[in-house]
Amino acid sequence: MLETLAQAVINGLLIGGIYALVSIGVTLIFGVVKIVNFAQGEFVMIGMYLSFFLATQFGIDPVVSLVVTMPVLFVVGVLIQHFLIRRVLGQNDMPQIFLTFALSLLLVNLSLMLFTANYRTVHTWYSDEALHIGGLYIPLAKLFAFALAMVLSAALWIFLHTTDLGKAMRAAAQNRDVAMLMGINPNRVFCVALGVALALAGAAGSLLMPFYPAYPLVGQVFVLMAFVAVVLGTLGNVPGALVASLMMGVAESLGIQFIGADSGLIVVFLMLLLTLALRPSGLAGGRAR
Amino acid sequence: MKRNWRASTPLALGAVAIVLLVLPLSVKSAFVLDIFIRILLFAFIGTAWNLMGGYAKQLSLGHVAYFGLGAYTSTILQIDFDISPWIGMLAGGVVAALASLPIGWLCFRLRGPYFTIATIATAQVLMLIFLKFRDFAWGAEGTTIPNLGNAPLMMQFDAKSAYYYVALGLLVIGLAITWLVERSFIGYYLVAIGENEDAAEAIGVDAPRMKRDIYMISAFLTALAGTFYIQYIYFIDPATAFNFSISIEAALVSIVGGIGTLWGPVIGTVLLETTSALLQSWLGSRIGGIQLTVYSLILMAVILWRPTGIMGFLREMRLRPWRARPAQA
Repeated sequence: MLETLAQAVINGLLIGGIYALVSIGVTLIFGVVKIVNFAQGEFVMIGMYLSFFLATQFGIDPVVSLVVTMPVLFVVGVLIQHFLIRRVLGQNDMPQIFLTFALSLLLVNLSLMLFTANYRTVHTWYSDEALHIGGLYIPLAKLFAFALAMVLSAALWIFLHTTDLGKAMRAAAQNRDVAMLMGINPNRVFCVALGVALALAGAAGSLLMPFYPAYPLVGQVFVLMAFVAVVLGTLGNVPGALVASLMMGVAESLGIQFIGADSGLIVVFLMLLLTLALRPSGLAGGRAR
Repeated sequence: MKRNWRASTPLALGAVAIVLLVLPLSVKSAFVLDIFIRILLFAFIGTAWNLMGGYAKQLSLGHVAYFGLGAYTSTILQIDFDISPWIGMLAGGVVAALASLPIGWLCFRLRGPYFTIATIATAQVLMLIFLKFRDFAWGAEGTTIPNLGNAPLMMQFDAKSAYYYVALGLLVIGLAITWLVERSFIGYYLVAIGENEDAAEAIGVDAPRMKRDIYMISAFLTALAGTFYIQYIYFIDPATAFNFSISIEAALVSIVGGIGTLWGPVIGTVLLETTSALLQSWLGSRIGGIQLTVYSLILMAVILWRPTGIMGFLREMRLRPWRARPAQA
C-alpha cells in the first residue's frame, strides 16, 4: 500500500515536471504581457512533431533535438508577439481571449489536415529502460524529462534574476507603466517573454516524445493542466506555477491510481473548480486578474 | 435626403419573414434544407450566447453544458417516462437555468480569460459525468431516439420542412427576447457591465445579479436548442450533446457577425455555415479539420481587422456618406 502510494507520487512528480514547463510559459506570458495564451498546448504539440520528424528523418534523439525545437519555437514566439498579439494589446477582453484561442484552433486543425489524427511515437534506447530502487520503478525517459525540465526551470529563474533583460521582464510584470518610464522597451520585452515561453513549450514537446505519443489534440491535456497550475500557483508567479504543476501531477497520478484509469481529467477539472471556489486568487495570494 | 430607417424596418422585416416562410416550400434538396436548418439552429444558439457573451461581455466557451443538459433532460423524460419532448424541452430549459446558478456562482468569481477557462472546465466536467454514469444516461454508447413516424406531438415529423419551422420559431423567440432586452434598462445595464464592470457597480448596477439573471436566460434558451438538435438527429451520446465545437460555434458566429448586436449572430451564422457547406460540397467531408481551420482564419481576420464584426462593418459603410459630407448649419 505504502509502496503503491510512493510509486504514484513518483509518477506524478515526473510528469509534473513537464506540466511545469508548460505552466511556467503560461504564467510568464500572463505576468509580462497580461494575456492568457490559449495556444500554449499547441506549441507543445509542434515541439513534439518537430522532434518526431527530426527523429524519423535524421535519427536525432528527441531529447537532443531540444537544441532545435527550443530556438525554432523561440523565433515563432517572437513572430507571434510581433505580428499578432501586439495588435490586440490594450483592447478589451474579446480580441485578447479569442486571438490566441483562434490560433489554437488553427494549429490543431492544420495539424489534423497535415498529419492526420494518428498517434506518432518515437522509440529510443531508453524508452523501455527503468531504474529499480527498492520496490520502486522509475522509467528512464521520464526521469530524463523531469531532470531537464528542472534544469530549464532553474535556468529561467537565473535568467529572470541576474540578467538585465530578465530583470526588465520582471519589472514589466510588476508594474508595466513604471517599467516603461524607466526606459524599458515594451515590445522587446514582450517578444522575449513569448519567445522564452514558447521555447519552454517546445522543450516540453521534445522531452515528451520518447514516452508520449504525438497527435493534433495532445496539447489540450497539457494546457488544461497548465491553466489549473497557474491559477493554483497565483497568476504570473513562476515558482508558484512550478510547485503547483508538481502538485497537479501528483494529484492526477493519485486519481489514476486510486479512483480509476480514466479519472485523471476529472481530478484535474475538479481541482480547477475547487481552486476557483475556495481560493480564486491562488495559493500564494494576490488578485485573480 | 435622410431615409427614414424606422419606417422602413418593419417593411424589410416583413419581406424577410415572407421569404423565410416560403423558402422550404421551394427547396426540394434535403442537403440544402439541412443547411438552412443548421443555420437557423446555430443562429439561435449564437443569439442565446450573445445575450450574455455579447451584451455583458461574459465570454463563455462552455455553453454546450446547457445544450447537453437540455438534450439529456428531454431524452430521459421521453424514453424513461414517455413525456413529449415539447414538455421535455421546457423542462430541459428549467434544468439548464437552475444549473447555471451554481456554475455561474463559481465562474463569475473570475473575470476575463479565467472566466472563459472556468466555463470550459464546467462543460467538460458535465460531459465526463454523463460519460461515467451509465445507469441514468446510457454512458458513452448513447442511445437512439425511438422513431415514431410522423408524430408532431412527440416532435417527430416526416417532412424535413417541419423541423425548419421549429428552428425558425426558436430563432424568432431568441431574437424577440434579445430585442426586448436591448430596449429595456437590462440591456443598458448589461452593456455597462461589459464595458467596465467596476464602473457599472459604482453607479449602482447590481452586476452580480444582472450577470446571474442573463446567464439563466441564456442557459434556458441554449437548452431548447439541445432538445431540438437531438430530436432532429434521433441520437444522443455525451460526445454529441457536450461537443466542445458547439461552445466554439456559439461564440464564433456572434463575434464574426457582430458581438452584442441583435442581428450579429444571424449574419455570422449565415456566413460561417454557408462557407462550411460550400467547403463540404467542394472538398467532401472527409478532410478532417478543414472546417475549423477556415473558421479560425475568419475569426482571426475579424479580430485583427474589425473586432466589431460584420455588423460593425455594415454600420460604418452606412455612416460613411454622412461623415464625408461637410457639416451644414
